[in-house]
Amino acid sequence: MKNFSRKDFLKTAAGAAFLMATRAFSSPVQAAEKFFREPPWKRKKPYYGYAVDTTKCIGCARCVEACKTENDVPREKFYFRTWVERYILRRSGEVNVDSPNGGLDGYLPPADPETVTKSFFVPKLCNHCEHSPCVQVCPVGATFLTEDGVVLVDKKYCIGCRYCIQACPYGSRFFNPVTHTADKCTLCYHRIKKGLKPACVEVCPTGTRMFGDLSDPKSAITKFYETENVMVLKPHMGTGAKVVYKGLDKEVR
Amino acid sequence: MKDVQHLLRVAVIFIAAFAGFLFVRNLLVPESFGKLGHYRADSVDEFAAQPRHYAGEPACKKCHAQQASDKAKSSHKGISCESCHGALLAHAENPKSADNKPRKPKEAEVRAFCGHCHAKSLSRPARFPQIDVTAHNPDAPCSMCHQPHQPK
Repeated sequence: MKNFSRKDFLKTAAGAAFLMATRAFSSPVQAAEKFFREPPWKRKKPYYGYAVDTTKCIGCARCVEACKTENDVPREKFYFRTWVERYILRRSGEVNVDSPNGGLDGYLPPADPETVTKSFFVPKLCNHCEHSPCVQVCPVGATFLTEDGVVLVDKKYCIGCRYCIQACPYGSRFFNPVTHTADKCTLCYHRIKKGLKPACVEVCPTGTRMFGDLSDPKSAITKFYETENVMVLKPHMGTGAKVVYKGLDKEVR
Repeated sequence: MKDVQHLLRVAVIFIAAFAGFLFVRNLLVPESFGKLGHYRADSVDEFAAQPRHYAGEPACKKCHAQQASDKAKSSHKGISCESCHGALLAHAENPKSADNKPRKPKEAEVRAFCGHCHAKSLSRPARFPQIDVTAHNPDAPCSMCHQPHQPK
């Protein structure tokens, strides 16, 4: 074996350190930049996507009502698979966000309307992330991303440890008091598999909510993804959220 | 041979424990687990089999063609029947039953009902048609002047 001199050792060590440093710095950036693990049109068909046009939402909460009915979500407050938030921005820079009973109880007119610079509604739901934190933390494999791009919770396998509820940066999950498992939006999996729209999309009167197949390059949802100026919630979290929003204000969390 | 006997005993215990582990694992892990990924593949089919409550507009059109065609020509054309009338799969499957009649707001409730969407609000997009519910003919039900299937 060749004699390994001090010079050789230092060279190798410096090279290894450089490689490790570049890996460490580059990989999170790459993960955040890469929206999809692979392009949807290369996926197994179908591959579902969802879009919200916040410039059209009127805060009628028909979607919240439909979701609760269609999926037998407990009627009490705080159990929501989807809800509508109202943002009120004031001249002072103050931001008020409210969602009384998910929007079902209606919104009271804001106090001191003359100080309001703008106000708008933002519907929220599970983002069906590509790199879901909830899927990563589940200790038993009860929550998962299906081949068609939907994040589901296996009610028979969930042990109710609530890790995923803590992990979700969007607050999309809740603990179902009836099943004693984690619960969340399924994109109405039982409807979309029959070629129907999710209940919230079906009843939305203004076309704020859109649903479709991203693996079809000609679908309306693909067109929306490609041609509109869209944004996801909390992009810095690198979750690869699949629900895109049009007209998202910088104050929306 | 005498020297390895104690090793054999340990080996037997290990093999028995491993076999026991495999047996218990086989009992506990569901059959379809791991077929598609780190989850129970059967659960996907269970989700797909969940019962529905909303029928979808094509089901309504089969019987209510007149209302559907009126609506299709109006500014309410983008609104699904069940958006106002409620979840109606039970009605579509058994239209004669009195238990699952479509929701129709009573005259006294109409103003609040239409107000869900059309009451004036700072937060609604300005281009969306809105009225001040307290000032705009406060005593008349909306449907006196505005036909919900052909609103003007």
